[in-house]
Amino acid sequence: MHYWRSFDELEQAPEFREAVKREFPNDEWDRLPPATRRQFLKVMGASVAMAGFTGCRWPKEEIVPFAHRPAGRTPGVAEQYATSLELGGAALGLLVTSMDGRPIKNEGNPLHPDSLGALPAVAQSDILGLYDPDRSVQPLLRQSGQDFVKTWDDFASWAEGRITDSGAGVAVLVEPSSSPTVERLRRRFSDVFPSAEVVEYAPISRDAERRGTAIAYGRPLRPHPHLDRARVIACFDADPFFDHPASIPLSRQFAEARKPSPDGISRLWVAEPSFTITGGRADHRRATPASQIPRVLAGLARELVATHHLELPEEAVNLESAFGATIFDDDFIPDLAADLMEHRAASVILVGPAQAPEVHALAAVLNQGLGAVGETLSYTDAPDPGRPDHVEALAGLTARMVAGAVETIVILGGNPVYDAPVDLGFADALSAVPNSVHLSHFNDETSRVCSWHLPRAHALEAWGDGRSWNGTITLRQPLIEPLYGGRSSAEVLAMLLGESPPSGHDLVRETMDGYLDAADFEASWKRALHDGVIADTAAPAVEVALDGSLLAGAVASLTEMIDAPAPTVQGPELVLRPDRKVYDGRWTNNAWQQELPDAITKTTWDNVVEVAPPTARELGLKEGDVVEITSSGATLELPVCIVPGQAAATFTTTLGYGRTAAGSVGDGVGADTYRLRSSASPWGAAEVGVSRTGKSVALAITQDHFAIDPKGFGARNSRIGILIREASLDHFLADPEVFHHMDHHPPLISLWKDQKYPGEQWGMAIDLNACNGCNACVVACQAENNVPVVGREQVINQREMHWLRVDRYFKTEPGVGPYEVDDAEMVFQPMTCVQCENAPCEQVCPVAATQHTEDGINAMVYNRCIGTRYCSNNCPFKVRRFNFFNYHKDLTDTEQLQFNPEVTVRSRGVMEKCTYCVQRIQKVRIAARNDNRPVTDGEIVPACAQTCPTNAIAFGDLNDPTSEVSRLREDKRAYATLAELNIRPRTQYLARLSNKVGGSEPAHHAPAHHDDADSHGKEG
Amino acid sequence: MSASDPMARNYLDNTSDDPTRRAPLVVGDNDFASVTETVCRVVEMPKTPPAWWIGFFVSVSLAGVLFAMITYLVTTGVGVWGLQTPVAWGWAIVNFVFWVGIGHAGTLISAILFLLRQKWRTSINRFAEGMTIFAVVCAGVFPGIHIGRVWVAYWLAPLPNQMAMWPNFRSPLLWDVFAVSTYATVSLLFWYMGMIPDLATIRDRAKSKLRFYIYGILSLGWRSSNRHWHRFEMAYLLLAALATPLVLSVHSVVSFDFAVSLIPGWHTTIFPPYFVAGAIFSGFAMVVTLAIPTRYFLHLEEVITLRHLESMAKVMLATGMMVGLAYSTEFFIAWYSGNAYEGFAFLNRAFGPYAWAYWIMVSCNVIVPQLFWFKRFRTNLVVLWIASVLINVGMWFERFVIVVTSLSRDFLPSSWGYYSPSIVDVMTFVGSFGLFMTLFLLFVRFLPIVGMAEVKGVMPQAHLKDVAAQGHGDYHGDILTERGR
Repeated sequence: MHYWRSFDELEQAPEFREAVKREFPNDEWDRLPPATRRQFLKVMGASVAMAGFTGCRWPKEEIVPFAHRPAGRTPGVAEQYATSLELGGAALGLLVTSMDGRPIKNEGNPLHPDSLGALPAVAQSDILGLYDPDRSVQPLLRQSGQDFVKTWDDFASWAEGRITDSGAGVAVLVEPSSSPTVERLRRRFSDVFPSAEVVEYAPISRDAERRGTAIAYGRPLRPHPHLDRARVIACFDADPFFDHPASIPLSRQFAEARKPSPDGISRLWVAEPSFTITGGRADHRRATPASQIPRVLAGLARELVATHHLELPEEAVNLESAFGATIFDDDFIPDLAADLMEHRAASVILVGPAQAPEVHALAAVLNQGLGAVGETLSYTDAPDPGRPDHVEALAGLTARMVAGAVETIVILGGNPVYDAPVDLGFADALSAVPNSVHLSHFNDETSRVCSWHLPRAHALEAWGDGRSWNGTITLRQPLIEPLYGGRSSAEVLAMLLGESPPSGHDLVRETMDGYLDAADFEASWKRALHDGVIADTAAPAVEVALDGSLLAGAVASLTEMIDAPAPTVQGPELVLRPDRKVYDGRWTNNAWQQELPDAITKTTWDNVVEVAPPTARELGLKEGDVVEITSSGATLELPVCIVPGQAAATFTTTLGYGRTAAGSVGDGVGADTYRLRSSASPWGAAEVGVSRTGKSVALAITQDHFAIDPKGFGARNSRIGILIREASLDHFLADPEVFHHMDHHPPLISLWKDQKYPGEQWGMAIDLNACNGCNACVVACQAENNVPVVGREQVINQREMHWLRVDRYFKTEPGVGPYEVDDAEMVFQPMTCVQCENAPCEQVCPVAATQHTEDGINAMVYNRCIGTRYCSNNCPFKVRRFNFFNYHKDLTDTEQLQFNPEVTVRSRGVMEKCTYCVQRIQKVRIAARNDNRPVTDGEIVPACAQTCPTNAIAFGDLNDPTSEVSRLREDKRAYATLAELNIRPRTQYLARLSNKVGGSEPAHHAPAHHDDADSHGKEG
Repeated sequence: MSASDPMARNYLDNTSDDPTRRAPLVVGDNDFASVTETVCRVVEMPKTPPAWWIGFFVSVSLAGVLFAMITYLVTTGVGVWGLQTPVAWGWAIVNFVFWVGIGHAGTLISAILFLLRQKWRTSINRFAEGMTIFAVVCAGVFPGIHIGRVWVAYWLAPLPNQMAMWPNFRSPLLWDVFAVSTYATVSLLFWYMGMIPDLATIRDRAKSKLRFYIYGILSLGWRSSNRHWHRFEMAYLLLAALATPLVLSVHSVVSFDFAVSLIPGWHTTIFPPYFVAGAIFSGFAMVVTLAIPTRYFLHLEEVITLRHLESMAKVMLATGMMVGLAYSTEFFIAWYSGNAYEGFAFLNRAFGPYAWAYWIMVSCNVIVPQLFWFKRFRTNLVVLWIASVLINVGMWFERFVIVVTSLSRDFLPSSWGYYSPSIVDVMTFVGSFGLFMTLFLLFVRFLPIVGMAEVKGVMPQAHLKDVAAQGHGDYHGDILTERGR
């Protein structure tokens, strides 16, 4: 029984508040949510009877106009600021769009060597993390099981009392950082507290590359491939287009090297356990279990030495003893060896970070032997050459924690409780440390074990700096005051050094003293902030020489790896890889990334285990079946996704899921594969146990499952060659009309009169020969156009809202049934509204809500749409997206800050789709009209084109014959998809070129016979 | 039946095909008064039978489910249904086409058969017209609620407005709005107008003031004068002539929703006749499904005779064959056209993930009516009733196959999907039967379900004194019922 004296008291009673909250979970209980208010207004307007109704409480909103406008700022006009964010130990340059003080979109900084104006999907999605309502909002002190809200000053005085004297018993665990400021503070920290230790750890790092180069050359080096100069690229479990800090320049270089030319294009060879986006672009791909990669590379080396008489550098000749009789029954190795020999000094061999250091060393030797170094590959010194490997360092720290040598640990960023190798027992060791501090964006798994949790400032909230992969100094400036009073790791390091409150700004300026023009510091500082980078600060390429003694020492372990038995279905192999969406788990609470369809499997909201079709057949596994994987003493249940092109008896899954304290989005999504990860073999394990559980789940996959009924399978395979046209370079050069011969349809005539376009008419060209399916455009579109996230259930219901999707198809030989496929090639096609000139959607809308504009765009008028969905049915590309629910209903005020105010947030019950970023078109056009000048080509860049790492998307005026898009559409590779429907798409595709050895063309894409009644050629 | 053994069969069996004798349209010892009595008895029952109440309670409950589902839909969003991106039309549209199709029988029976002077229609036309109206009501529910923003559904109507916007006259959905609303209006008028003399009969027989006034108002002052009859018959003829093209047009226009689009499996010129045949097929099946229990419970066997049911079975056989022909023609054209997309659309129907639905459709619509080649089955009420139910099932699946399988796999394989209904879809459909049956039960209880005046017009008694007609008219003086001989 609850007694109360007044209504006030009753209202304040926690039970009452709880009851209210339960009843109205999404309600701020003392104010009406906006939707209700709007509905209320409607009722008010409609009902005279309610005219006298008063007493409703309205939210008090104060409007603060810019009576004095800040300099250089026009309300409602977006500004862009250069800044950066740190990913994988390198800084990515950003240009962040800020609208009236709130950052709304991450784009790449064109001046930055690692972004070149583009950004990978993860870096774009990071802005959503800024507005994440689950972020921690205050320092917390955990004492005897209770959380106490503290201030930064409390922490400062606490730290002052703990970290004293020489710093004995103090450990600082940091994330790898390229930041000169962090580096400087770390050095200062070590100077001030010589007994304190600073340990660096990240679950995903390129340590194997460092150690491999150290074996080969005596010191850790950072390899920089130059794919634009390479005619032959061989990737061994390497994914330079995604899993590389310089993935954007590498992707772009490759795309450049694939542009059709009479001199030929580069050729990509890939051996990998599971499909990567690099593997998707390969001309020759060999599905190889990860444990067999050393053997395949050794086989290549043996072939080069034995058959082609390549002379290895004399320091490395003793490696030859390791090669043994590594002979394979397929043509991959002999063909690759011959190709490499033919293109000496114009080829490069890349090995991925999951391979052992010795394999990297072998690749370095081969690169050296093939003359790649200095041509297609250069080296710079690896930063911090003396540091131990991350796993090794963490193991050492954990051991000292267990031994009780660590009194106080400060963890700056990262989430080691979640992502440390299981065998270290880091979580238990941490909970035994008396004083522990964790700086983090979220009150996450690690924070919950620590006695202090500190809110971390988001990259867009804090001052900072970093270095690009090639060493270029990159600055970071905040776009917004910290929303929740968070601080950066540099600032917290400064606090540990007694600086309180620390000023990130001053810290960075102090560091930059050494890099900027001292004579005119202010000007060069301003310039650096404006550009985001300091020019000409890239690390110089270094001369390298092989180190024979270290290489000789690697022979034994290399031999062991080469002789590793191949996995079998009875003793299969587990492969662990960073996730293409949530990476190591840091974006698990990011709804954009969760809902982004994986580039290969097209799964969302889950991690799956990829299984090869023959292996699945042998084990009787079907898509969605849950298997139990036992490795390192842990057992985990994961759903199966059958992917052709996966190596046999190899089970690949990704890290970063199954979190328990990620936040409302990421908690409980997927399975925590870190539990299968040991410090000895962090990238997988051999001889794991896999068993069926008999359970099955629905996977949230955005594209049809691979194995479907034979009829559908046959029809799909027969269509892909026409939808995504591909021919070998030789064939194309011999017959430039090859792609147009694939059109088979009678002459196309229209019932309607053609619309005239006296001004501009827009068009797009998407180069499938450049696209590698990286998904950057999908997120760019989502961020730009306020595309809602619908959640796992709705994706299963096939209601995902992405305006732009990347269609992924597998190609198999004709005649192969759906249950007979072993291997396949992969092709990508970015698909969005192609803005048909004869738009089927426009004709069928009963209320004329979708209309042609005077510049040719197929416009969607949201406030006219009544939602019959007829347009969607009649859209042959199925690119229209329907708001089945009010997907914005539950967004918090903070989350709404991310919205682009230039784009309508669509209500429930209306259709939406790609607009060619009409808001960007209008913005440029209005400016041009004001200046009384025509819009120049390249001035309007839709979000997808803006961020494309390979510049695959071109946009412009079709009425301007000199525009890039007009030029591309005149290209012989240009074709319109589904042209036979006479819809005349404004977006055309440029066909893919393959470059297989011998120029062979995929047989089933050979132009079929046609007679004179067919018309060839392009439409529109 | 052989003429030498007239008493071997039940007197209710008037299905004799003996060419020397015209089969009676009303059996038993009936005269004008007894027909009036038989029909009015239902309306004038002093106490509503418990069976009616039970049926009504169930029906109203289901109708309540329909409205609950609609409320949930409108407040939450179309997402409560199973729709998705490739299949943006699902059960709602299937149900719409299904109900509109059923709504074809009534007008066909009353208008086309009237113009063709098929006098046997008189016993069942009122009943079939009522069913038409109710089916169209049920059909009308769906297009309205299936749109995303129900509250602006009126934008579909060409109303002058401040936006200076007309609807898009190129859209078949708009044609649909006109076609269905015109059809509903004309059907309603036709039904009501035909009922006026009978309403007047009930008025004249009324024992209470309330009944007298209600039926009095409804019968619009009918006095059965010669002039009234003259005007009435002319107006009836005109309305029949007006309704006849509508029977053909409304389902043709509904089929345009599909035929005008470019989706393989929808984009076919065969759709208008195929849809109309299917609609008549399903409409007759529904009439039979309702007529068999109704005539049994309301003791109307002498008026709605076995011969009527047999005739309807024959119509079902004929239209079922037409539908079967349409199915095979579609396949032939899909192959013959050489259009790979269309070819696949049909193979996918028959052998793809929705093959189960396709074969249910073929079994119910093509195979089941083949029973009606045999008189034994045409005149066996149990077989006839089960077959008519199966045909309704099959016709629902026909619409499902057309709407869903075509959409689920169109041009780009990346967008293929598999649609399954949600529980709300199912409950809405079941609820629409509740609405239909509620209206039907109210109709049975309060309105004359057989056109008394018209039935009397085709009874032999009506022609007794018509000496001129005896020589060359339909009736050769063979006025005695079998029982009376």
